[in-house]
Amino acid sequence: MAAPLLELTAINKQFPGVRALADVDFTLLPGEVHALLGENGAGKSTLVKIISGIYQPDSGTFRVRGAAISELSPVKAQQLGIALVHQELSLVPALSVAENIFLGNLPRTAASIDWPRANREAKQAMAELGVKIDPTRELRSLSVAEQQLVEIAKTLQRQPDILLLDEPTSALSDAERSRLFEVIRALRDRGVGIIYISHHLSEIAMIADRVTVLRDGRNVGTIPIAEASQETIVRMMVGRALSDQFPKPAVTRGAPALVVEGLTVDGRLRDISFTLHQGEILGVFGLMGAGQEHLARALFGLERAVAGRIFVNGEAASSNTYSPSRAIRAGLGLIARDRRQSLVPMLTVGPNISLPWLAHRQPWHKLELEREKATTLQFIKELDIDPPLPHREAVYFSGGNQQKIVLARWMSTGSRILICDEPTRGIDVGAKAEVFALLGRLAERGTAILMISSEPKELVGMADRTLIMRNGTITGELSRQELSHEALLRAAS
Amino acid sequence: MIKDSAQDLAKAAWDERASRLRTVLFRSGPLIALLLLIAVLAMLSPHFLNADNLLTVARQTAFVAILAVGQTFVIIRGGIDLSVAATAALSACIVAVLMTEPVLFLGIPLGPMNPVLAIILGLMVGALAGTFNGFIIARFGIPDFIATLGAMTLFRGLALLVTGGLPVPTFRIGVGAGGGLPEFLLWAGSGHILGIPFLLIAVLVVAITGGLILRFTAFGRSIYAVGGNREAARASGINVGRTIILIYAFSGLMAAIGGILLMGRLSSANALMGEGEELRSIASTVIGGTNLFGGEGGVFGTMIGAAILGVLGNGLNLLGVSPFWQRVAQGAVIILVVVLDQWRRNRLRR
Repeated sequence: MAAPLLELTAINKQFPGVRALADVDFTLLPGEVHALLGENGAGKSTLVKIISGIYQPDSGTFRVRGAAISELSPVKAQQLGIALVHQELSLVPALSVAENIFLGNLPRTAASIDWPRANREAKQAMAELGVKIDPTRELRSLSVAEQQLVEIAKTLQRQPDILLLDEPTSALSDAERSRLFEVIRALRDRGVGIIYISHHLSEIAMIADRVTVLRDGRNVGTIPIAEASQETIVRMMVGRALSDQFPKPAVTRGAPALVVEGLTVDGRLRDISFTLHQGEILGVFGLMGAGQEHLARALFGLERAVAGRIFVNGEAASSNTYSPSRAIRAGLGLIARDRRQSLVPMLTVGPNISLPWLAHRQPWHKLELEREKATTLQFIKELDIDPPLPHREAVYFSGGNQQKIVLARWMSTGSRILICDEPTRGIDVGAKAEVFALLGRLAERGTAILMISSEPKELVGMADRTLIMRNGTITGELSRQELSHEALLRAAS
Repeated sequence: MIKDSAQDLAKAAWDERASRLRTVLFRSGPLIALLLLIAVLAMLSPHFLNADNLLTVARQTAFVAILAVGQTFVIIRGGIDLSVAATAALSACIVAVLMTEPVLFLGIPLGPMNPVLAIILGLMVGALAGTFNGFIIARFGIPDFIATLGAMTLFRGLALLVTGGLPVPTFRIGVGAGGGLPEFLLWAGSGHILGIPFLLIAVLVVAITGGLILRFTAFGRSIYAVGGNREAARASGINVGRTIILIYAFSGLMAAIGGILLMGRLSSANALMGEGEELRSIASTVIGGTNLFGGEGGVFGTMIGAAILGVLGNGLNLLGVSPFWQRVAQGAVIILVVVLDQWRRNRLRR
């Protein structure tokens, strides 16, 4: 066996009130893809940050190619050939693709920057990832998926020996993802060691050689991929088997709750019509960029529709002055795909839950602090928000618990129609099952749920019907009987 | 999530208490700094802890403190209001002119006006000036800094036009119609109730009102929401534009109150009064722990911040430090406190 590239022994890291890592051992071999798995809060991010020099461990040894390293900093990590692709992008929106890729390192001629070469090489770097993007385009004009690929290209350009990929595929389409996997395999064959973090368990079998699972800051085991079936991994991650990830109750479809006719948003959505019934979970599936996000936002009054009408319980809800406040009054709630668009990070749980209560209040309206407190405690208990601390700011909760806060918000506001845009994006397996269970219970109580998802498995598990979106319009519909992973992908591409 | 055992829950609760205690200690930073400053000055100067001296500090600080209440609202929203001192001057000048001079408005003789009516109009002018700022910022998406920088100059210009560049009341030779300011206004600037300066009482009333609005009204909550995450506030149905306009209207109203009281203290108004005080109101707010990036802060901290600046200036005076060095010291304190605050925030945020 080749000498390890990276050898961590008995790493400990303590944060105020939390033991983030406890005696974690971890090795990375040259030429392997090592998947790092665990629920949110299990310590994956902390470990990644220690390896990339952002955090210092409290104790433990850290060896790179056999040499013990102390006081690793991000700069030193880079010199050692360690590179990290962030989950959150570290790009500069106002600079061009080429400038971002070569940030701080642009090729130069004697007198100035060698733009032709920079652009040529940037184009080539993107082409290796299988995308054609004009390298002079401003980054902010790209889609999230394209930005993610630029981020990856930027990291690869430094030719690292140790590559950390933190959820690199969260915004990618299937084709882009396959292409990325090819690149990863090529790097692996050149002897690069790759640490791969993902919430998509199905990806692990496609790409990983070994799997390490963290739980509550401890390493629960490192196993070769041959032994790592999905059930095994899930059991290791949550400490128990997940009996049913998709607890979809059978609900009789009620009266129409939301009727959409010809909804059109300039350049985004074209002529969208559908009916969502009480107690129904209506799926929406499409590849990245098919317009799902805009549909959610337009239904909630965050994007202006140029044509079309929205009826809630038979009454016209949309008009020229349609706004989130009107949508909320009509009984809609929005679970946005990015929780950073939903939560106010430095407010505590209660104010985050009660925010929409203010939607159509006069400024001098007195806050219902007693009701807010009671509601907060009730939902912390009912939704098992963990840690159960009402006075903690939203930013300190894990993704799954933040999502529960958002759900509690709409439940407490009395929303009867929930628009869920990727409701489980970036949250761990255990919390996903909880969110689905909750959506199931809400449907049982008659809530109408529009569930936008790019995970076929979720829709197969949860949706009563699924609309297929492509290029900003609805191109088909699959019933629960017709629904399968293959059918969805076939219909959408 | 794995179910917590009762033990884990108890531990979590304990951790929470510990972390809250730490938070409280960190948040009390400005208060502790103020107490330390007072202790040091008391040791260095025998005159400092004298009640008369402290009440003088309160009177001198009142103007900035009142502006800073409005500034706190603005900064929690993530904005900044450079026009507060100019708004104060404009309101005070309009009130002074209306009270003391014969004014022709559209051919209708208006003055000298009933002083109470003049003050009400002056307060409306302040709120209107703020509304103008808020409208420009909310409607056209112009950065607060630029919009209020422009407004600052604009309002000073209007104040110069209103007063003709002269202090009001003007005792112009040959005109003779101009009277003095009414007694009750002069009393508001220098009088006492039970030994407490009216100005200090005014500051307390304004600050407490501001604090109550922030804590207990939909408007107050909206300010934190819009300042903490504008997108999230919008997606929760909060009217972001209206909130911004109201914030600036409030700030303008505070400025008008401050300006009219300052006029009482100085016995006159002029177009350039309070110049530079907008920066001190910002400094007070930030020293008091309100986050310049929005979403966090409060009036209590701002009052502590204003007190720190006031006490520091007074103490240095008593110690015979030259005014030049006083400026250096005040600037250094502002930077030091904000650096410490940033450090604290990073600690809390891990």
